[in-house]
Amino acid sequence: MTKFIIILLSAVFINNYVLSRFLGICPFLGVSKKLDSATGMSCAVIFVMLMATAATWPIQMYLLNPNGLGYLQTIVFILVIAALVQLVEIVLKRYIPALHKSLGVYLPLITTNCAVLGVTILNIDEGYTFAEAMVNSLGSGLGFFLAMVMFSGVRSKLEGADIPKCFSGLPITLIAASITSLSFLGFGGVVENLFA
Amino acid sequence: MTKLQNFTKGIIRENPVLILILGTCPALATSTGVESALGMGVAATVVLLCSNIVISALRRIIPDKVRIPCYIVLIAGFVTMVQMLVKAFAPALDESLGIYLPLIVVNCIILGRAEMFANKNGIIDSAIDALGMGAGFTLALFLMATIREVFGNGTFLGMEIPVLVDNNISILTMAPGGFFVFGLLIAIVNKFGKEKPKKKEFGCAGCPSAALCHGGDCAGKEENND
Amino acid sequence: MKKNVKEIITPIAVLACICLVVTALLAYINLVTSPIITEAEEKAAAEARAEVLSEADSFTLLDVENLPEEVVEVYKADNDAGYVFILTTKGYGGDMKLICGIKSDGTIEKSQTLSHSETSGLGSKTADEPYRSQYVGKTADTINEVDAISGATISSNAYKKAIKGALDAYNIVKEAK
Repeated sequence: MTKFIIILLSAVFINNYVLSRFLGICPFLGVSKKLDSATGMSCAVIFVMLMATAATWPIQMYLLNPNGLGYLQTIVFILVIAALVQLVEIVLKRYIPALHKSLGVYLPLITTNCAVLGVTILNIDEGYTFAEAMVNSLGSGLGFFLAMVMFSGVRSKLEGADIPKCFSGLPITLIAASITSLSFLGFGGVVENLFA
Repeated sequence: MTKLQNFTKGIIRENPVLILILGTCPALATSTGVESALGMGVAATVVLLCSNIVISALRRIIPDKVRIPCYIVLIAGFVTMVQMLVKAFAPALDESLGIYLPLIVVNCIILGRAEMFANKNGIIDSAIDALGMGAGFTLALFLMATIREVFGNGTFLGMEIPVLVDNNISILTMAPGGFFVFGLLIAIVNKFGKEKPKKKEFGCAGCPSAALCHGGDCAGKEENND
Repeated sequence: MKKNVKEIITPIAVLACICLVVTALLAYINLVTSPIITEAEEKAAAEARAEVLSEADSFTLLDVENLPEEVVEVYKADNDAGYVFILTTKGYGGDMKLICGIKSDGTIEKSQTLSHSETSGLGSKTADEPYRSQYVGKTADTINEVDAISGATISSNAYKKAIKGALDAYNIVKEAK
């Protein structure tokens, strides 16, 4: 049980996908301007990460590895994720229109979100079991959510700030991201030693 | 547009990283050292060159409906090839790029160039475009990595620089330093750039998945217009 | 109707063709590169083992149970010069992978960092000579004399914990024999 907690906490805080691994930067910068779109996007990412891990882990372990096809990993994973996203979108549109309305617009964007492909590949690289992989995906998604929500708060404060002209827009956003990620550095080394 | 202009636009005027803000993830993640930045730049350029040539050659055969899946398959194929070659002939580079090597698949620059350039232009033009964009990507990574390695670690390509090596600012090689240097570089480009960078700074406009977003209903796009 | 069928079939056929061609190409390249990759990996591993236990000529992988959690692999020198341990531990920034050679008299000959993700300039110093050389000649009794690097206590402790694991494992494999 402790192992799951450690995986979960380190995925959320220490190896935060956005702030320390630099995965999923595009949506982090693009969709974090308003709180509601940031929440919507992150929920969609958590959902797709879990689905993608649930699909790709068995494929790698029971289909690719036994047949010596490990080298097809990248190509198979990206196709599975792309197909999955399309499928989820169709299903949501047909059966849960309300959820589709709030999450739907973010779904196509996720296909090329490196955080999703990243989490599926890392789960294999780290040699996680299925349960551990699912926990890691959940943690990664929650970490993405946390970063997005925190950062949309930071950005709303930036709106009215008086900054040099050449810094307005993206540069000041990146500097703010830098300070936000600085705050996450303090978590390093903490979780492993919590239960030691 | 002449062939030369076609090549140089990718390096300066439409630099994929500093002006178009594409491929930010690998730019931030692999620019901790000059060596890994150059490795990333070259690997991405090779994939971009191959995918642009092939997609341009097949542009009349690939049906419009399935063009995105086709591009993704082709790009993922080339990435895997590069991955295997790097593993076989440059294992040290494979170690330092780690997960970011397979993640070239989702590098927006490659899908973006396929969608915006290669499927409309001839093979030679597409190849030149790929080389220009690749050079621009490598140059931007090299710049960022130089700043981060020289000041953060006091070394350049692993060689120690006197004075700086004892007074290094190690935060620059860590995650916050990446964001910071990137923001600073873009601010400098904004300040001295001859033309104003296009308004469509980030989000959907430059994002290749914009094509999948059915146009107007993309949240990122809406936001960028205000 | 006929046109519809064509509209549906052509995209599928083209996509399938592309998939097939790409997969075939990949299979071919894999055939060519995989022996090179395995050979390079084995060569690198053999060199790393020879580096930390210089007197050994060749190694055999041992299959021992109940080892400390840090120990991943144990190699025994065929000429009884000692043992080489591959270790992993959690550092400040993530997993640290170490290799440690212990001579047949129970002293450490050399330890090295295979890969790490520690902070450059602080935790990364555990991979450098001044820190590493502290472990040379240490035994299970004297291991606590090693000083941590100031500013990088977590990385240093992780390193020491892994090496302690290697020393424990050394006693286990020694008794098993």
